[in-house]
Amino acid sequence: MNMMKLNGRGYAGKVLYLNLPGGERRCEDLREEEAKLFLGGKGLGAHILCQNLKPGVDPLSPQNILIFATSPLTGTIAPTANRFCVVTKSPLTGTFLDSHCGGSFGVGLKEAGFDALVINGAAEELSILVLEDGEVELRGAHGLKGMTTLETEREAKRVLGDGFQVACIGPAGERGAPIAGVFSEMRAAGRGGAGAVMGSKGLKAIAARGSERVGVYDGEAFTRASWIAHRMIRMHEVTARHLPQYGSANILETINETGALPTRNFQTGTFEYASEISGAEWRRELWARDTACGRCPIACSKVAAVKEGPYRVEFTDGPDYESIWSLGALCGVSAKDAIAKANELCDLYGIDTISVGNIVAYIMECYEKGLLKEGDVDGLEPTFGSRGAMVALVDKISKGTGVGEFLQNGVKRASEKFFAEKGDGAFLKLALHVKGLELPGYDPRAAQGMGLGYATSDRGGCHLRGYTAGQELLGYSGGANPLRTEGKAKLVIDRQNEKAVVDSSGICFYAFFAQTLKEVRMLVDAATGLGYGSSRNLEKVGERVCNLTRLFNLREGFTSKDDTLPERLLREPMRTGPAKGIVVNLEPMLKEYYQLRGWDEGGVPTRAKLNELGLA
Amino acid sequence: MGLGQEMRLNRIFDQRDGRAVIVAADHGMMLGPISGVQELGKTLEKVIEGKPDAILLSPGQAEDLYHLFMGRKAPSLLVRIDWTNTFRDRTYTLPVRETFFSSIATPRDALKLGAHAAVAYLFIGHEDEGQEARHLALVSKYASECARAGLPLIVEPMPFGPRVNKSNYTELVATSVRVAVEAGANALKVPYTGDPESFRDVVRASAGIPILVLGGYRALSRRDLLDVIAETLGVGASGVVFGRNVVQASDPASVLRDIRAIVHDGRPVRDVVAGGDLAKPTRLRVHPERCSGCQVCTAVCSFSHEGVHDWNASRLRVEGKWPGPFKPVTCTQCERCVAACERKALSRSSLGHVGWEAERCNLCGKCVDACPLRVVAIHDSKVKICDLCQGVPECVEWCSRNALVAMA
Repeated sequence: MNMMKLNGRGYAGKVLYLNLPGGERRCEDLREEEAKLFLGGKGLGAHILCQNLKPGVDPLSPQNILIFATSPLTGTIAPTANRFCVVTKSPLTGTFLDSHCGGSFGVGLKEAGFDALVINGAAEELSILVLEDGEVELRGAHGLKGMTTLETEREAKRVLGDGFQVACIGPAGERGAPIAGVFSEMRAAGRGGAGAVMGSKGLKAIAARGSERVGVYDGEAFTRASWIAHRMIRMHEVTARHLPQYGSANILETINETGALPTRNFQTGTFEYASEISGAEWRRELWARDTACGRCPIACSKVAAVKEGPYRVEFTDGPDYESIWSLGALCGVSAKDAIAKANELCDLYGIDTISVGNIVAYIMECYEKGLLKEGDVDGLEPTFGSRGAMVALVDKISKGTGVGEFLQNGVKRASEKFFAEKGDGAFLKLALHVKGLELPGYDPRAAQGMGLGYATSDRGGCHLRGYTAGQELLGYSGGANPLRTEGKAKLVIDRQNEKAVVDSSGICFYAFFAQTLKEVRMLVDAATGLGYGSSRNLEKVGERVCNLTRLFNLREGFTSKDDTLPERLLREPMRTGPAKGIVVNLEPMLKEYYQLRGWDEGGVPTRAKLNELGLA
Repeated sequence: MGLGQEMRLNRIFDQRDGRAVIVAADHGMMLGPISGVQELGKTLEKVIEGKPDAILLSPGQAEDLYHLFMGRKAPSLLVRIDWTNTFRDRTYTLPVRETFFSSIATPRDALKLGAHAAVAYLFIGHEDEGQEARHLALVSKYASECARAGLPLIVEPMPFGPRVNKSNYTELVATSVRVAVEAGANALKVPYTGDPESFRDVVRASAGIPILVLGGYRALSRRDLLDVIAETLGVGASGVVFGRNVVQASDPASVLRDIRAIVHDGRPVRDVVAGGDLAKPTRLRVHPERCSGCQVCTAVCSFSHEGVHDWNASRLRVEGKWPGPFKPVTCTQCERCVAACERKALSRSSLGHVGWEAERCNLCGKCVDACPLRVVAIHDSKVKICDLCQGVPECVEWCSRNALVAMA
């Protein structure tokens, strides 16, 4: 392999390792063979994490490592490639965690001269880390203490000056709430608690700017590939119309019709008020404007405003499908103003809307079933559909006050605490999570492949690791019968591998509705000259990353026993809708999944598979 | 190919160039009453003004609308003889859960309706490989019946189903094309793979059987549509079968005129998009209310001029941050910079493009000071000034929301 430098070929060419509190730094060249194996983003982050983190470390201890990683497409004209990802060991699940954000911080990091930033240890006081042209400075940030995400970013930019890009945490991250995210430009790397890890390192914000300019290997080919990728986005119904018009909530009514809209804490899959919270209704009543992440021609983001009533909101980002569902249908709530208010609280205080909605719905079911009394929940009456109780609980969790002080630890820990105190096993059964990560907005009883996806996702119950809902529920690409298990293992593996490529290349999953790996390959090859040459070679990167994160989880003590779903989804038949009477038939899918993955019966990658992937 | 098949095929493809512009209007059967096909007769009257070489209909509509195909100058009639649920994504009611297909007419039925060709699908990628076998058997049966009836068979091969993924799709387009050819297709209707290089392989797989490119979803801009057509023709396609892009357009005849200009007249896309007059001066117009703040325009401006992604090199800027509003600020060609330049390093061409000559410039900065909108800058010892990209501004071309438009 030629030893040409990576700088100027999409990459900045350097990884910065920073040790707190002393601030010792080490700058390492990103090697071409590493780049080719792991590409960037999630892949690069996973590689660095596996190499540098000792097994068994407490995620909120200084020994955990927090990684901000960009990809070779970050900061270029490739559509939607403005993104960065945060990689760490999750305090919510104890698994591998990659969480992605559309804010421009990654561009700043790269322009400051780094493809990735690796933070070890912890600062002695609340600080802001400032990166500029290879220089690193840790400044005290007492003035930022307790500030919301929006205030923090504005204040940091005001104090530091023009051109800085900022990633920050809200008060929830400062408190170490394991459902806290990292925010940039009011977009969130929301899931899994990266914000708590950042808080545990004493970092309120990281700001970056620099004069490094992202260059590419073959400008002409890159322009051409970008044009083609942009054009495909403009010519596909989902990216040219559905997402721009109705945001990600464009699918909400369809998901309801297919019986897969988790309602009232997954008690059923149809919500009778779904049409009141559809994308079209948000558009008609609350959305004031469309906004886009940097370099994204889709603009699925909306800005909602509530002008009157008890839930006034000046502006809040979105809400997107998952937030509308989790704060809405999952809690039985159909009041858009209350959903917008709760969404605003989550964004400002810096927590994950999916986790919060699940926690609230869990409390509501426990209350309705008589397991919890008013006295257990600060005197609230949290029945399903009570918008007041929903917003009040979100408020408490956001601020960590009252009952929110332990609910902010996620539904798994909350349920374990109730069980320990009250001894009723129902407390555990009603908590819907996989490996501790609260479930997203697709009931897997009505989409079996999604069930396998949740069970095998590397960060716990996540829909974005094996998104089979496109075929199973939305009818894309010719469909796949959602109630059958045959063929789902292959479907999930394909989606997981493709998504790992997407997450390592820095583009957005939504761009992928209009594209295939061919377009990503053309972009990556033109930007880097790494010469992948074919979609299959790039897919191999995705497979490698999926195996690497699996190795991480195995070494952290997870086994095939953890590749499962909450009992409700495995035992309680769906009550309504097209999937009525059905449970997730996980076992056969999981067995086939391991086989097709080249893993043994215990879900451990075989030596042969690791050799094939260069991970041995 | 039999004589009848050859004669009929030659009526569809223009004798002079061997190409065809075909309008598909059979959506109602697959997708329901989508816009444009609700009152199909009225829509088709407008379509026919644009002189398509042929129109594709379901048997039922062919029977109802036969009068549109009477007379010597009328378009040829293509009749679909099968049905599938596979295109019913969530846009339409009842999203498909599994692909099925069935025969709805025989080639002989189509012939009786006056068809000049029959059209049928061929899918590969089913979960159930038995389905694939049955589909091939059906298409082969169509092929032999068509041959007996003297009717050309146009096959629409497509990868569809759970076994198609993001890494095998393009290959499977070529594979399915070849299977259709071997099964006896006389012409093919094929999805574009998105770039000319990969489509060349698809054309190669067709072994000389003419390929018509299908349109799929409705494109946002006409330029994209025409761009794609020109690309596919360039690597050997023989024309298009476009549906929603034509029948859902406000003026179907004008879309067809533009398509014909590319397919039959071989005119350059830019020329057609500019309405045949590229030599008109242009200026940028901004619609701030459409802007999403994505900054694609500024990124493309810097990259197209400088080859790197440098915010400071962009000749325009977008003001505003979350939650908006956003406002693109561009050069208005007020020419104060030109007037301010004492060394005549800046000039304006007859088309309104401002040019900069490095040899005459001493980087004094008077042009920067003269710009009322602050979109002129000196950076890396160069004057960065909007040159309208010599008539086709890249910021306009890449803006997906028409927040920037070029006005004559």
